Amino acid sequence: MATPVIMPRQGQSVESCILAKWHKKVGDKVAVGDVLFSYETDKAGFEEEAKVDGTLLGIFFEEGDDVPCLLNVCVIGAEGESFKEFAPEGDAPAAASEAPAAAETAEVTVAETVVAAPAEPNNAAISPRARNTADKLGVDYRFATPTGPDGRIIERDIFSAREAGIGLITPAAKAAGLEGTPGAGIGGRMTTSGAPVEAPVAASAATAAPVVAPATEYVEEKIPNIRKIIAKAMHTSLSTMAQLTYNSSFDATAIMAYRKSIKESMERLGLENITLNDIVLYAVSRTLMMPAHRDLNANFINGDTMRYFTNVNLGVAVDTPRGLMVPTIFNANLKSLNEISGEVKELANLCKSGSINPDLLRDGSFTVSNLGNLGIESFTPVINPPQTAILGVDTIAPKVRQSKSGEIEVYQSMGLSLTCDHRVIDGSPAARFLQDLSKNLENFDVLLAK
Amino acid sequence: MPKSQFVDPNELLKPGYITFKDIPVNQYAKTIEEEQAIYSNEELMNIYRDMVMIREYETMINLIKTTGEYLGVAYNHPGPAHLSMGQEASAVGQAYALEIDDFTFGSHRSHGEVLARGLVAIHRLPEEKLEEIMKSYDGGRIYSVIEKEFKDIKSVREFAAYFFVYGAMAEMFARRNGFQKGLGGSMHAFFPPFGIMPNNAIVGGSGDIAVGAALYKKVNKKSGIVVANIGDGALGCGPVWEALCFASMDQYTQLWEGEFKGGLPFLLNVFNNQYGMGGQTRGETMGYDFPARIGAGVNPEQMHAERIDGYNPLAVIDATKRKKALLLEKKGPVLLDVVTYRYAGHSPSDSSSYREKSEIEAWQEVDPLITYRAKLVLAGIAKDSEFDTIIEETQEFLKKVLIKSIDDTVSPRMDLVSNPDEIGDLMFSNQKIAKMEDREVDVLLPKEESPRSIQIARKERFGIKDGKPVSKQRAYNFRDGVFEAIIDKFYEDPTLITYGEDVRDWGGAFAVYRGLTEVIPYHRLFNAPISEGAIVGSAVGYGLCGGRVIAEIMYCDFIGRAGDELFNQLAKWQAMSAGTLKMPVVIRVSVGSKYGAQHSQDWTSLCAHIPGLKVCFPVTPYDAKGMMASALEGTDPVIFFESQRLYDQSELFHTEGVPAEHYEIPLGEPDVKRVGKDITILTIGSTLYRAIEAADTLKEKYGIEAEIIDARSIVPFNYDKVLESVKKTGRIVLASDACERGSSLKDMAQTITELAFDYLDAPPVVVGARNWITPAHEIEDFFFPQPEWIIDAIDQKIMPIKGHNSTTNFTANEQLRRNREGV
Repeated sequence: MATPVIMPRQGQSVESCILAKWHKKVGDKVAVGDVLFSYETDKAGFEEEAKVDGTLLGIFFEEGDDVPCLLNVCVIGAEGESFKEFAPEGDAPAAASEAPAAAETAEVTVAETVVAAPAEPNNAAISPRARNTADKLGVDYRFATPTGPDGRIIERDIFSAREAGIGLITPAAKAAGLEGTPGAGIGGRMTTSGAPVEAPVAASAATAAPVVAPATEYVEEKIPNIRKIIAKAMHTSLSTMAQLTYNSSFDATAIMAYRKSIKESMERLGLENITLNDIVLYAVSRTLMMPAHRDLNANFINGDTMRYFTNVNLGVAVDTPRGLMVPTIFNANLKSLNEISGEVKELANLCKSGSINPDLLRDGSFTVSNLGNLGIESFTPVINPPQTAILGVDTIAPKVRQSKSGEIEVYQSMGLSLTCDHRVIDGSPAARFLQDLSKNLENFDVLLAK
Repeated sequence: MPKSQFVDPNELLKPGYITFKDIPVNQYAKTIEEEQAIYSNEELMNIYRDMVMIREYETMINLIKTTGEYLGVAYNHPGPAHLSMGQEASAVGQAYALEIDDFTFGSHRSHGEVLARGLVAIHRLPEEKLEEIMKSYDGGRIYSVIEKEFKDIKSVREFAAYFFVYGAMAEMFARRNGFQKGLGGSMHAFFPPFGIMPNNAIVGGSGDIAVGAALYKKVNKKSGIVVANIGDGALGCGPVWEALCFASMDQYTQLWEGEFKGGLPFLLNVFNNQYGMGGQTRGETMGYDFPARIGAGVNPEQMHAERIDGYNPLAVIDATKRKKALLLEKKGPVLLDVVTYRYAGHSPSDSSSYREKSEIEAWQEVDPLITYRAKLVLAGIAKDSEFDTIIEETQEFLKKVLIKSIDDTVSPRMDLVSNPDEIGDLMFSNQKIAKMEDREVDVLLPKEESPRSIQIARKERFGIKDGKPVSKQRAYNFRDGVFEAIIDKFYEDPTLITYGEDVRDWGGAFAVYRGLTEVIPYHRLFNAPISEGAIVGSAVGYGLCGGRVIAEIMYCDFIGRAGDELFNQLAKWQAMSAGTLKMPVVIRVSVGSKYGAQHSQDWTSLCAHIPGLKVCFPVTPYDAKGMMASALEGTDPVIFFESQRLYDQSELFHTEGVPAEHYEIPLGEPDVKRVGKDITILTIGSTLYRAIEAADTLKEKYGIEAEIIDARSIVPFNYDKVLESVKKTGRIVLASDACERGSSLKDMAQTITELAFDYLDAPPVVVGARNWITPAHEIEDFFFPQPEWIIDAIDQKIMPIKGHNSTTNFTANEQLRRNREGV
């Protein structure tokens, strides 16, 4: 009996995942624990392992497809066993969910066309060169009119198709699974064994994909989904808010001394390796809870509603190989310094390995981004909408000041860069938050005692 | 056809008789006392000693092959073993009459001859000379093994004996310490420093090669004679007859001048052991009764032929010395019919089903090891027991050498794991040597005064002037290009000679050499008999001795006549000698058209298939001169194809014109003759010009821009430019006049498919000649690729061309049909 493999639901909020890469191809033997495919949500990447031994009989989606959670993605079973009954029925998830994309770019010259894909697996002969050109130009060659010998699609047919705007690839067309799939052959060459077996869905051929001229002096790569999400979020953030950054600094002597003392005794006390950033997070979580600063621990929704949070859900910006990710420490104000420190490390590791639950990447009320360890002296952090503010933590540097007795003294100073959405937070409240936060940090022993 | 020789009907139509002199048969009659006046007792004993060495050596191999051991030493030798037990007196006798400046070329059954000549050299050479030869042979690699592995050696001569027998045995067992690093093996061991030249596994193969060596000695005034040791079976081989013709040409005595006048120092020595494998030459497979009779059919001197008793070493020495004297007096060639007999079969698989045991026994009764020994005992030269001691010592010696030869540590095989290219690196010598010897060149006039040079000086060196083609008479053409490169080398390399059919007064059938006769003396430029085998075979011999030679095959179709010489000899000897021999030989081959089935074939692919040959086919005057210059500068065999369609062709591509001075175009580099972007057309040979026509049509009628690449060479071949082009255009047609099936184009198409697969818009398409006989000129266009065929192929197999109507059929069904029917 063949076993279908579904697209798992990674967190309650996740409705679909992008199938990032097939690690097995149809016909491959798979054993329990073998990675079948990797997939990603807007915010994290995962790998799906085989839970049964057998042969990969068939796949229903291709790399790049947006697959609704819980749908069958592929089938494992004994060689020769039937599997088609597991195909997601009449399902055109990609087409459905991506349709608006076409509308967005409607001003691009070509009229929207819908072309029905062949119901049978497409066996159109195509020259290797034409296939490569189709890949480069983003043309789904199945829609090209073959003019080569014996009905073969040759390179000029791809050029003609592009000129006529036929077969330009959209994510929807991708769902049909015939273009641009890295092949299983040597050097990524598409071979018969690597060719998709099933092309189950209709494709909407609109003009979403920008036409990319063949290039010789640079490499073009599609950005990963997470990057697209970041791009969109950042752009939305800056284009929809009135952001303004305030810089200040505080005397870091106290927190540095505190950290030093912890470091010396952490093993003995069974404490985390508490960092300066943990200390700042702790101080932020407490400062935000002061009634005067409730506008900063809030979301501004639809331009007319402030959502004030009862507790502090502290977003922490994490640099991962896949891009910026912001996991949330829920109820940070209720957690001890040691708990915060432990949780930050755990969340950061999950983000870096790409295996974080997407539900941990949402619902923040305020965000802290630390670039101090990279030597940044001040910057303008970008607010993670719909939040109203974000704190940038800068590096520690020596500063001089005049003491009360009039002497010049050197002390270690840490910078803070706070960006607020001026639509809801004016300059003075922002400055006051920084003032209170600095006070708490300069007198960290006192804060801890509260 | 020299004008100096009048072909007189009165003379030729006169009645009369051809008379013959008696041919001596076994006339040796000296007593041992008479011989003692010539040879010391030590020499007489050495003759016996050397015969024992050969007998024991061959017995050792025989025992290893048949019982797997010799004197308790076990070994398995899977390779060949053509043994000569019974023939020792012939080999040793001959060796005693020769010095190291005399060359012997042998056969597959030459262990005995090699050992005999080596041992005689070791007896005779001054110790310092022996040391020098051993230490310098291939960097002293064998010398150092003997020094390390063989202890208690008392003298240089003893050391030399170990050196020599070990080198030969290691060679036979395919060990890296062998004379040829094991690449020659049993049938090909040789050692040039002692005058022992390549032995040949092709029956009769040494016949014409040795003639070339004799030519080398004569033309380059080298001392010594050249002996071709062949069996009686080889007398049925065409190339041996051709060798005799080549060696006995009248021109040596009638036309060659000054010190070059006189016969070739060539001895055809027939080791007449009565059998060619199992075929009994006398009585069954030949009709000569005596091989010596052949001499009477070759020239009026009857080749000074003689039959001698090959079972008596003293009779062989006596005869060989007398013949050598004749040769040194320029009275060659000479034929010796040395009667002998082999006890063993042709090879271990031969059960001697073709002869009675009693026959073998009868010969064993007169075995030279018994009769000669008895003679020496009778003459009181040594006691009988001393001979037994010699046998024992020899066995002991061979056992020691055997143990070292088969020890994988001492005598490893070529290590193709750590050096996978070791054989590959030996296929070509790839050297550039401007002149093979540094001395004055023999010429008749200064180069500038050659009538041809004067004529060429007046020509336009680029074929287009003021936008118009230069007239045929005034344009520097293809044959001028070939000529200039060759005459330049004639005035530079004193060893360079050239010959072929009709090359001298006629100037070559296609007039390439016209004007050379006036400046190059006979011994450097001469007509050969219609003997393509000997023309190429002698060039092989001339080249491997160290001379540079251009031999000409008038029509490509005659390559078949020189098949063995091209494919087994010319191609192989550099590698089979492990790089100790070079082969500075250029074979000019003219590819015909217009003359039907046996005069119009492009056989470049046949040559390209054989490893060891460089193959090129330039088709423009500029390329012809540069590539001929390159071929003549090199040390590798080059088959230089020329097209008879193009001898009048002017230069149309190299706009600066063909330089008057020397320049070289390296072999192996294709040339982009026209730049284009839509399709690549790769041509071999004169098809280039039809591809240009096709490209013109493609551009003018269909707006398709073809890039045209002239392969120029086939072996070696640098694919870089072709791949670069195909990656650009994505399409390629390959065209040549060779019959399409199995042509080099197919090979290239396959390579291009592999290396540019992802760039191809269609499979490479080969447009070759039909797999037919070449028809008459009037309907040749249905046989050779035409411009429209190229366009049709593009239309039908690569990218259909709108508006084009094909006249030929390149469809898959047609392709299948032709293959199915073999046409």
